[in-house]
Amino acid sequence: MSHAPTALHGNHACALGAIAAGCRFFAGYPITPSSEVAEHMSRELPHVDGTFIQMEDEIASLAACIGASLGGVKTMTATSGPGFSLMQENLGYAAMTETPCVIINVMRGGPSTGMPTRPAQGDIMQARWGTHGDHPVIVVAPASVQEVYTQTIRAFNLAEEFRTPVIVLYDEIVAHLMETVSLPAKGKAEVKDRKWATGAEVGFMPYAETDDLVPVMSRPGDGHRVHVTGLTHTPDGFPTQKPELADRALRRLVDKIELNRDRIDEVEEIETADADILVVAVGIVARAARRAVEMLRAEGVKAGLLRPVTLWPFPEAQVRNAAERASVIVVPEMNTGQLSLEIERLAGRGKRIRTIHRIDGEPIGPDEIAQTIREA
Amino acid sequence: MNEMVRTLEPFEIKDYLRLQLMPHFMCPGCGHGIALRALLWAVHELAIDKNKLAIVSGIGCSGRVGAYIDANTFHTTHGRPLAFATGLKLARPDLTVVVITGDGDCLAIGGNHLIHACRRNLDLTCLMLNNEVYGMTGGQVSPTTSANRLTTTTPGGNAEPTFDACKLAEAAGASFVGREVTRQAMALKNVIRDGIAHPGFSFIEAISDCTEIYGRKNDLGESPEMILSQKSDMRPEAFGNVADEPFRPNRLVTGILAKQARPEYGAAYRDYAVRVKSKPGRPR
Amino acid sequence: MSSPVKSKGARPKTKAGSDTAAEPAGEPVKPARAGGNILIVGVGGQGVLMIAKVVALLAQKQGYQVKQSEVHGMAKRGGIVFSHVRYGPEVWSPTIVKGEADALIALEWAEGLRWLDHLKHEGVFIADTRRIVPPFACRSRKAGAPINYAKETPADIVSRVADGFALDASTIAEGFGDARAANTVLLGVLSASLAYPEADWLEVIEASVPPKSRDINRNAFAAGREWALAARANPTLRFDSSITSYEAPAGLLQPKITLEINAAWCKGCDICVKLCPERCLALNAEQVAVLKSPDACTGCHICEWLCPDFAISIRTSHPEPVTA
Repeated sequence: MSHAPTALHGNHACALGAIAAGCRFFAGYPITPSSEVAEHMSRELPHVDGTFIQMEDEIASLAACIGASLGGVKTMTATSGPGFSLMQENLGYAAMTETPCVIINVMRGGPSTGMPTRPAQGDIMQARWGTHGDHPVIVVAPASVQEVYTQTIRAFNLAEEFRTPVIVLYDEIVAHLMETVSLPAKGKAEVKDRKWATGAEVGFMPYAETDDLVPVMSRPGDGHRVHVTGLTHTPDGFPTQKPELADRALRRLVDKIELNRDRIDEVEEIETADADILVVAVGIVARAARRAVEMLRAEGVKAGLLRPVTLWPFPEAQVRNAAERASVIVVPEMNTGQLSLEIERLAGRGKRIRTIHRIDGEPIGPDEIAQTIREA
Repeated sequence: MNEMVRTLEPFEIKDYLRLQLMPHFMCPGCGHGIALRALLWAVHELAIDKNKLAIVSGIGCSGRVGAYIDANTFHTTHGRPLAFATGLKLARPDLTVVVITGDGDCLAIGGNHLIHACRRNLDLTCLMLNNEVYGMTGGQVSPTTSANRLTTTTPGGNAEPTFDACKLAEAAGASFVGREVTRQAMALKNVIRDGIAHPGFSFIEAISDCTEIYGRKNDLGESPEMILSQKSDMRPEAFGNVADEPFRPNRLVTGILAKQARPEYGAAYRDYAVRVKSKPGRPR
Repeated sequence: MSSPVKSKGARPKTKAGSDTAAEPAGEPVKPARAGGNILIVGVGGQGVLMIAKVVALLAQKQGYQVKQSEVHGMAKRGGIVFSHVRYGPEVWSPTIVKGEADALIALEWAEGLRWLDHLKHEGVFIADTRRIVPPFACRSRKAGAPINYAKETPADIVSRVADGFALDASTIAEGFGDARAANTVLLGVLSASLAYPEADWLEVIEASVPPKSRDINRNAFAAGREWALAARANPTLRFDSSITSYEAPAGLLQPKITLEINAAWCKGCDICVKLCPERCLALNAEQVAVLKSPDACTGCHICEWLCPDFAISIRTSHPEPVTA
């Protein structure tokens, strides 16, 4: 592993972050603009006794990742919108079976094939609600190459800690942006591993309710011959349709994220303490928003930026808090209104919300945001 | 192998079952139970440690079979068990990975995964239970439903041609292809045993019966009649691949239908990794 | 011995050979014949056709006209194979009628008995005592059950025919390295009954067998011939008197068969009832399988293997033989 600082593309930083986090299995399918993640993983993994495989489609890619993760290995796949749509079924399977895995979704213009080489933020809601049924999910949204690296590591840690799929959501610009990044020395990144059963436990329950609601995982071959199923199951792993048992199982699944928000939430707040005008933005748009806030502060406008780094679960408390102090909220995003739905939900009655939506494949610039703030 | 078999303890199926789940949920007379016994019998003869046995299944009646096995069992999504198993086997080459799938799971929704698993030749065993119908969803037509059969979605009889799954697997590169009927339980066990022992991708089609839904709708008789009719539908591979009218006109050739030595993908990848690691100036 | 070959019409005899011709000095006592009928019987895979060919070529070598007629094709399943070899100055019918065979060569014991009615009263009977019991002779699948197979012992048969020889040719051939050469052992025995030069026999045999098995066949032929000459000199050697019965030994220890039905798992699918070869299972009023006639159960496991619900388990234990 190289030592810092070095200049990397976003997708390269993602691969290096994954290796540093202990990822030892990657299954993927080529798709613009995420293919470089797979290319770098195919080169890196053999050097760390890991396995790379290019599967026949994105469905199989995530399936193979889940299979490998159930085998006890940290796994990742990378894709973009169309492939992410194909992964949704198995994403739900990973959530239901509480299988740690990391999914990189590099957003591009949609719907359908859309604009493969242009950036977008159209998957914010797909990342949260793409798979069917009520399910927990964690989504992190890096905004820079440096952050792609650190958030990929964090994504693995969250996946392991909470036994859940974690999605790293960024866009074509960050993916193909080359920036100078600072990487920790080899082995110095903070890495967390899932809780493993020893195999010697008596009466082991693969989905037992522990203190933090995250069950201990059993590695095949270690002695607990457990059953893993996408059917609603009881702590022993076997299916149930009894209402009270199903309710308990599914609520724990959601609660293990909701009740551990203090370990999951992450927001970046810039000048929000006294902000009268609050900008809420994620990913690449937040970088333009930050510049806009700086420009307006120089003009004497009390602007501030709140950027969800953990996008899902949505940082509701932090947004409410900042929104309370502001008179106007500005939401720039590269879609027709996804993030703004959450802001409208949280801002409270009568709060003025200005939104900027761009779906032409071009990024939103600082001037555009600054102008909206000035007009707010 | 025979020497080893003789020294084994007699096969007791209860040693391989999750007794707390028994009796199983399958309908009376369902051939899947017979195939499950044959699989466990094969596992016993190969003296595979249950802790090192992974059963990966998909969705449907076949998908539910795995849960009764006292091993590491994974009941995955519809059509995808081969993809899950690919990841599991690559990550854990020490495990014996057997995929249990059905005709719909394997050939329809999972057809793409099947041909690529055959092509890759990873050391997996794919046991496809073919009962010619989607049983779990109530009896809809499947890619192997025989001509003119009635199903809930072919009320006028099935007009679609069928897949010959074994030919498909062989053409796609599976290095071991076998077929047997559940009526020949011991022969089925032997094919499964040889398939698991084969280093590479093994595709085994077990001709099973859906008596409750498919048999009844098509007047194929009760469970005993259906299982007895299997013998008149099959032609052991020893009799050749050519129909011998009128003596053995039947379409179902049984036995080990194809076997070839091809590099096993997992070993090939690990060899590649060793070569890459030993090379100076690693690519970046 | 007169020729059984009937000369129909007045065709001139173009082939050489007569009742008195070509008897070499020093050969066995049998007079040379104006032809003969040799019936060779056995089951698939024993080499019936090979020795039929040898006899036919030998006869041809003696200047006879030869006809050989055979039935085979069941060979793969251990089925009956037989060959009629007829030779003489002129041969019309290719098959031997009942009571007209000069020699009956049986490569398998029961096959020899089956064809006994074809043997001429004074004909020579040569049989391997090795028994090949076909599966369908097992009328009951119980271990140690009596089989429906010829009960006659070599002593019974040799004493009933005029000129009989019964020997364990297979074991003799095994001694030379290949039990399949038993047929050549029997040829050696036959050669002692026919007045043709030994050199002719050997020449024809060597031409008929693969080069790598020539030595085995030469030894097998010589052993058969030697055994026959000795038996002809001492009739007590014509059969193995140690075989006194082919009945199953009394008091054979029966294995203990336990068939258990787990009623809680049985779903009454009827497969075991209908597929049991002994029909010893039934469904009771609750539609649960029960063992109706335990004595009929042979422990064949078919019900166990075909029970989709694993409700049947069979254990077979073999009692330890009691030693005095």
